[in-house]
Amino acid sequence: MKYLTVIKDTLKDQIALASQLLLLVLAAYVFTMAEEHRRWKTPVLFIGLLSWFFLRHRIKHPIIWITLFVLLAVDLYFKYFWVANHHFMLIFMVLSVLIYSYHKRTDILLKNIQILLVIVVLTSVVQKLMSTQFMSGDFYYYMSNRGVLFRNFINFFPEKLEIIKSNSKNLFDLHATDPNIGEHIVLKNILPNLGLISVVFAWVTVVMELVVAIALLFKPRSVWTHLFFAAMILGILCTRFETGFMALLAICGLYLCRNLYLQLLYVLIVIGCFILILTKLGFH
Amino acid sequence: MNNTTKEFVLKYGIPTLAVIVIAVHLFLVNTKNLSKWKGGGYGMYTELHYFGNQIYIPGMSLDSLLKDNQEMKKTLSCLMVMPNIDNLNKAGQLILKTTQKDSIHVQIWKPIVNSKNGHYSRVLIDEVYLKTTGF
Repeated sequence: MKYLTVIKDTLKDQIALASQLLLLVLAAYVFTMAEEHRRWKTPVLFIGLLSWFFLRHRIKHPIIWITLFVLLAVDLYFKYFWVANHHFMLIFMVLSVLIYSYHKRTDILLKNIQILLVIVVLTSVVQKLMSTQFMSGDFYYYMSNRGVLFRNFINFFPEKLEIIKSNSKNLFDLHATDPNIGEHIVLKNILPNLGLISVVFAWVTVVMELVVAIALLFKPRSVWTHLFFAAMILGILCTRFETGFMALLAICGLYLCRNLYLQLLYVLIVIGCFILILTKLGFH
Repeated sequence: MNNTTKEFVLKYGIPTLAVIVIAVHLFLVNTKNLSKWKGGGYGMYTELHYFGNQIYIPGMSLDSLLKDNQEMKKTLSCLMVMPNIDNLNKAGQLILKTTQKDSIHVQIWKPIVNSKNGHYSRVLIDEVYLKTTGF
């Protein structure tokens, strides 16, 4: 019982907990990207670490957050068109926490996180609605037949893996030919009626994301909002191990949620994603 | 700055930055053919990945061009993620310079798929024919 009380007390201080988890995920992300642009990152890390060891009790600036933010900014500057979309989201979240350490206003931090989250999910919905390839089901159809979606479940069905392998080989052979000839291949379906399933799945994705975005905008603390949001995160993780992005969404959920059980669920998602990122089973 | 303005900027400044990044992304998607997967517009998983795009140079292997050539890798990566005529010209000029050929024909293709009949094929996005201009 004593441990349960300690867990409850930790969860109650959600801002501190969410910020610690953000720092954890951020450190893992920065570590995986550390090799690129080493010439710039080495002095930043050197100055950051030295300042933290010697000056952290003397100055009030959040040295670690500033250092990690600069490292993110270096990657953004040199690889603007190549970094993942959650790199941008991570930058905005870190910036929010960084500024929070100066103004100390919880309501402002939570508003930053809430609006940022709504923008990200809503933009994702708009992008999907604007894409004919997505709304026609063509995108999910291709991804399913290539074994990119639900891979962890497909591994239990060797006959499906054979179809995926055959599709990959046909695609490889096609790409080796001159595209001017105008050749095409016919993808083999891993499921019957996959075309129809793909259209339904595309619409379910859009509706789910739209419901979550609207709920987060108008009822950011509601239990129902977070039930939908957590279900969406888990659903995406089942579809594909987009652990880096999902960890950030779960951290946003943790900032906004007031229900202890759902907070615990968010913490479990973040820790799970963090481990998958570290072990390279998931994407960073 | 008074307190109300300061509070407004603190609350909505960062989300506004996010909106600006998205607007830039959408502008580049529509004017420079940037892949929806990149550029901070949260359009990943809405279209086939740009890795599926194919640079085709008749009579030449890409692997031989890319071998130990960082500038070529960067230029061709740019063309893959943003397949437009400017990047195609840049890539063509670099290939012309590197291979020291008299002329070059460079094409960029993208994949299309039809879920109704399972057809997967490629369509031409753009192409350039370049000749050396030196005497």
